[in-house]
Amino acid sequence: MFLTRSEYDRGVNTFSPEGRLFQVEYAIEAIKLGSTAVGIQTSQGVVLAVEKRATSTLLEPSSIEKILEIDAHLGCAMSGLTADSRTMIDHARVEAQNHWFTYNERIKVESVTQAVCDLALRFGESANSEEALMSRPFGVALLIAGIDEKGPQLFHTDPSGTFMRYDAKAIGSGSEGAQSELQEQYHKSLTLEEAKVLSLKVLKQVMEEKLSSTNVQIAVVVPITDDFTNKKKGGFSFLTEAECQAVIDQLA
Amino acid sequence: MQMYEEQKSSCPVKVPVECRFSPYTDNGGTTLAIAGDDFCVIAGDTRQSEGYSINSRYAPKVYQLSNGSVLATGGMYADGVTLVKMIEQRLEWYRHAHDKQMSSGALAQMLSTILYHKRMFPYYVWNTLGGLDEDGKGAVYSYDPVGSYEKQKWNCSGSAGHLIQPFLDNQIGFTHQKEKAPLTLERVVQVTKDAFTSATERDIYTGDNLEMFLVTQNGIEKTRVELKKD
Repeated sequence: MFLTRSEYDRGVNTFSPEGRLFQVEYAIEAIKLGSTAVGIQTSQGVVLAVEKRATSTLLEPSSIEKILEIDAHLGCAMSGLTADSRTMIDHARVEAQNHWFTYNERIKVESVTQAVCDLALRFGESANSEEALMSRPFGVALLIAGIDEKGPQLFHTDPSGTFMRYDAKAIGSGSEGAQSELQEQYHKSLTLEEAKVLSLKVLKQVMEEKLSSTNVQIAVVVPITDDFTNKKKGGFSFLTEAECQAVIDQLA
Repeated sequence: MQMYEEQKSSCPVKVPVECRFSPYTDNGGTTLAIAGDDFCVIAGDTRQSEGYSINSRYAPKVYQLSNGSVLATGGMYADGVTLVKMIEQRLEWYRHAHDKQMSSGALAQMLSTILYHKRMFPYYVWNTLGGLDEDGKGAVYSYDPVGSYEKQKWNCSGSAGHLIQPFLDNQIGFTHQKEKAPLTLERVVQVTKDAFTSATERDIYTGDNLEMFLVTQNGIEKTRVELKKD
């Protein structure tokens, strides 16, 4: 793609004669510099796993946040310029809460993904009444995991604002290797436990550092159930370091 | 609707002029809804009144909505029409945004927020929403004009609401009754007809026609029964 680069890569919203928006394409490239994140959907729930790349031994690993909760039934993993995801996650959270406020029901995974993607192309100069949010496209890709009436689902969004549903998806620097590994290993009858192990197995293969319970993070989204004490169980949750270690122990 | 009261006098002495803005009117009428195990009946008379005048003998105030719910509106007719238009618009937007039909429970909450958003200039409407919930059970929700709502088994509101409600409590809720008859659709329809024929005798704002919507798993059946015209 760099062969045909010309002055058309300067304007953030100018098509090249071949019909491409270079800045958006470059934004997609930016994600490939980010740490790897994988998502796996099973019939029991969705697993999100990310690599936490520690750039220094003095860095506190728990301060790296690459998986976030959107709502009780929605989680999100990211790769790329993670600071850009703040705007998107904030929007997703507001959208999820608004839906609950207005309709007294949990928003669908696809709807919240669509809401996030609506922001993606609001860069450059503002058009109509839509205010431009950013001077450039978002440099982040998201894996949005959640559960609704259609069951557990996993969506992938990129800086162009397109979103697609996946059984298993990897993003970030190791995404190529990870994706082909997922392609080989994934099957529809995977259990949630097997998916946790698979997600780390895939991460381990593409990570430069040695995988440990401090440099990876796992989260799951499972169906929400009300038991008779009226306490809600399930939904989005992080695995504790001990639970994470238990999964790592199954790798060998 | 009188908007302003102007000073008619040609007296040269200036006095403060009181101006009134009365945007509300009560067009009367009665609505009723009863939820059964697997059905729901929503009914209303079709008379539209204003003071001692009858504007129309057939101005229906019970509306079948596109999501399969039925909304009965009482109070000011024009506000009811506008509210239903708005709800239909929101139902369509919801279908486009979420690729599904809005459930009766979601509509119930949305109606409450629509009404509350006009807290300082409310729609002068007493709503009763009827339909089937996600499990196919009958559901009735009743509202005040500013959106306070409650899920009920039966409800009656409007000009003859206070006349019919105790009758329903007794015949549908079986208060002070030893024997409880099963709540079949046929019995509910009969109780509804009886309630309206009796209400028509005592309430001048209720009469002309009774329009009933019978909501079941198989769809919605609309029936009309004549009431006394006096």
